[in-house]
Amino acid sequence: MRTHIFAFTLSIVICAAARAELKWERTLIELHPAVGDKEAVGHFKYQNTGNQPVRIKSVHTSCGCTAAQTQKDEVPPGDKGEITATFKIGDRTGTQVKAVTVDTDDPVNATTVLTLKAVIPQEIEINPSLVFWGQGEAPNPKTIVVRAGKDFRLKHLTVTSSNPDFKTKVEQAGTGEFKINVQPRETSGIAAATLTIQPENSAKAFYATARVTNAPAIQ
Amino acid sequence: MRQALILVALAFLPGIGQAIYFRDKVSWQLPVPASEMVTVVQARAWGENAIWIDARPDEEFARDHVPGAVSLNEDRWNELLPQFLAVWSPEKKIVVYCSSQSCNASREVAHRLRNQAQPPMQNVFVLEGGWEEWLKSRQ
Repeated sequence: MRTHIFAFTLSIVICAAARAELKWERTLIELHPAVGDKEAVGHFKYQNTGNQPVRIKSVHTSCGCTAAQTQKDEVPPGDKGEITATFKIGDRTGTQVKAVTVDTDDPVNATTVLTLKAVIPQEIEINPSLVFWGQGEAPNPKTIVVRAGKDFRLKHLTVTSSNPDFKTKVEQAGTGEFKINVQPRETSGIAAATLTIQPENSAKAFYATARVTNAPAIQ
Repeated sequence: MRQALILVALAFLPGIGQAIYFRDKVSWQLPVPASEMVTVVQARAWGENAIWIDARPDEEFARDHVPGAVSLNEDRWNELLPQFLAVWSPEKKIVVYCSSQSCNASREVAHRLRNQAQPPMQNVFVLEGGWEEWLKSRQ
């Protein structure tokens, strides 16, 4: 009995002494990329504060749009390193939250979920970006609202339609806000137009779509 | 009355504790109501009445995809959207998928489609289990 107690106590002491621990500087990083940036990169720094090496078994992300790389597969005691998470912005908008899951052989904290938050700036918000009419529906105008994004100014914009059968009329609706009234000439057949929205003082053009579809529109 | 209030206060405790403990843990999965999810079996039964949208990155779509599916991902949303609109009509059901159950791209694409049209685009569904589940159903 005494031997059992001794063995049990000894195992606890050994486990406590031989610990491996990856301490993360931060597990949540918020990034604010600039307009036109193609990607946003987060650096998750860590240190092995234990006295045993930690093996990083795998690193995977919640989205194909995010790639994560580890500097080293094994982290000796006292060593520092980082996981680099690269988020591809593409045509994404708004606030994007992506997760990076790190699996290690650390018996206490085997899995750590790192969070990368990217707040993508929007020059303008277009709502809706698609207006449509059902075949045979009255060809009444529909409105697209364009607003300046946070921290952006919008004084003037021009709209061009790729199809002359869709007329557009722009009117200012307030500071930094415009209404685009879109009207099809008729709705007897399928038709479509790409509306190019060009804000003044912006190098980038934005797009909306107008369509007459082959089925009655859902009201 | 006092006992009832104490019980209500006690009921809130675990929730408050969780909110404080996980305050820096932000959810990365867009919540989708069960009514907007669809299984492979259900979606296949829709046949020609469904448009399949592949929300995975271009290279994964190029490798293989659901027959007839249209590629629409957020990497090249503005470029790919017209291809989808060319085959879309309001009465059709839209089935969006990404690589697996845990991926979020299909939820994001479905959310964007629902919210960017006037009148709102209806019948937009997220495929449960995504491409992985589709592959299993093919075996």
